[in-house]
Amino acid sequence: MSDPIHDLRDLHALVVHPRDRSADELMQQVNRIGCNFDHMWPVPKSLPEKFDLVFVDVTEQSAQKLKSFIGNNAKPPSVVAIIGYENPSVLDLIFEIGAHSVLMKPVRAAGVLSSMLMARRFQQEQLRFKKDLTKLREKLENVQKVNDAKFILMRHRGITERDAYDLIRKQAMAKRTTTTEIAQSIINAESILSNMGDS
Amino acid sequence: MESWKVGLLFSVTGVTSIIERSQLNGALLAIDQINAKGGVLGKPIEPVLYDPESVVRRYGELAETLIVEDKIGVIFGCYMSSSRKEVLPVVERRNALFFYPTLYEGFEYSPNVIYGGACPNQNSVPLANYLMNAYGKRIHFVGSDYIYPRESNRVMRNVLRQGGGEVTGEVYFDLGAQAHDFSAIIDEIMQVKPDAIFSTVVGQACIEFYRAYHAAGGNGRECPIASLTTNEGEIDAIGSEASAGHITAAPYFRSINSPANRRFLKAYEGKFGSTVDVTSCCEATYSQVHMFARALEETGEIDTESLREALLGASFDAPQGQIKIDPDNNHTYLQSRIAKVDDAGEFIIETKVRRAIKPDPYLVYPAIHDWSFRTLNVAGGGRRNE
Repeated sequence: MSDPIHDLRDLHALVVHPRDRSADELMQQVNRIGCNFDHMWPVPKSLPEKFDLVFVDVTEQSAQKLKSFIGNNAKPPSVVAIIGYENPSVLDLIFEIGAHSVLMKPVRAAGVLSSMLMARRFQQEQLRFKKDLTKLREKLENVQKVNDAKFILMRHRGITERDAYDLIRKQAMAKRTTTTEIAQSIINAESILSNMGDS
Repeated sequence: MESWKVGLLFSVTGVTSIIERSQLNGALLAIDQINAKGGVLGKPIEPVLYDPESVVRRYGELAETLIVEDKIGVIFGCYMSSSRKEVLPVVERRNALFFYPTLYEGFEYSPNVIYGGACPNQNSVPLANYLMNAYGKRIHFVGSDYIYPRESNRVMRNVLRQGGGEVTGEVYFDLGAQAHDFSAIIDEIMQVKPDAIFSTVVGQACIEFYRAYHAAGGNGRECPIASLTTNEGEIDAIGSEASAGHITAAPYFRSINSPANRRFLKAYEGKFGSTVDVTSCCEATYSQVHMFARALEETGEIDTESLREALLGASFDAPQGQIKIDPDNNHTYLQSRIAKVDDAGEFIIETKVRRAIKPDPYLVYPAIHDWSFRTLNVAGGGRRNE
């Protein structure tokens, strides 16, 4: 995982906030921190590709509009929500849009850096967890498939589990493919054969 | 109102009193000079002094007292970062203007603070370059245990790594550390034999450390202690024998040979009898008070907003050379010099950068090869001890 502190000055940040004192404070601080940044208002329809991090004023915005703005991007940005009220409906909104950290209005310089880094770190972790989870799911499915195929072989040939697995592995090596592929073929064949018997 | 009141929060007792007393003197000298010329818009500046006794919590409490009870909106003060952090919420809440005339570790900005000391990009990078070129690439870190030394070492480690250097050890000590507390680390240094020691030990402990190193046979000419904080005040207390050969990087040294500095030193001597405790932090305080007075001349009232407006972008011919407050971040463009202590206990300037370096308080990883940090050798090394 990349180090958010190390990569700080490579960030492209976007400030989506009406041009007021909070926006000025925020942009000046982002400038001091040394990141590239742009300003947009009102909330644009879609987010240009180059931005890694978005500060977005969520006051009086609909979740739908915000989600379509943030979400329509192959490379999702880190999101820092800027909130004016701390009531449950606003907090609900920032959960719904999946913000990674929060800044309270009026924005002051202190806290901006931490909120940026928290957002980066949190999002990177989320992405890593998602990736790990997908990998684990696939792995689990594969294990399940090989198990099923092993039992089919054991039943048909009257061999042990160990031998059944060796058979699958040998086939995979001979055909230069994975044990999962072979297992899938065995499962498919078995289902065709048993279906034939039924009809 | 008969006078312009300003608050001065410097400890004249306790562990950091050596350096803070010199800052206080810098402020008092500047105020004297301003008042001698008729004050600001016909009214003198009146300093209100409190002694926080080097106790961190007292700085915040006394800042509150200055603002609430003495009705003062402008404060000069603090040496350690921890004390500044106590004052910060007070001046922000009360919207006062706070001048911080000390080098620190960066990563801060408050609209209510004007930062007059160096941040790491203005002193650490030139020092790392110098050490690696002049002594070698193996550096040992010794520091006091608080935020400044830790962050300062982080920056130093990074710059060294970029130049192919190596940190041979890193250790931190309590602010009240005595000579015998340093014996283990000095033994370690004698064994490891680094090319130089980077010290961020501050206050009284700094003096103890240099003396203990000397007593154990450490020689500054062979393996110097390099520092950003060891000023003329400390060197004077350490003594010339134990301090010879050691290195400091700072915007200002007493030995700078310029008309502005000669005038400054002459005035200082006139007021305090000697210049032994003139340091870079003293000079920074002196310059900040003058810059404040000029801003006040312009605004005509002590009001945080209008003073800040007048101060941002203002420049001043300081004893160190020209300095300027950066309107981007309230820090100050400063000179950068590296000096070595000679046999008489005076800093002899070895190198300096060509022009004042822009402050970059949020620079995570300063680059060692940045052109703006290139230093020039200084012919003659400035003024010898007078």
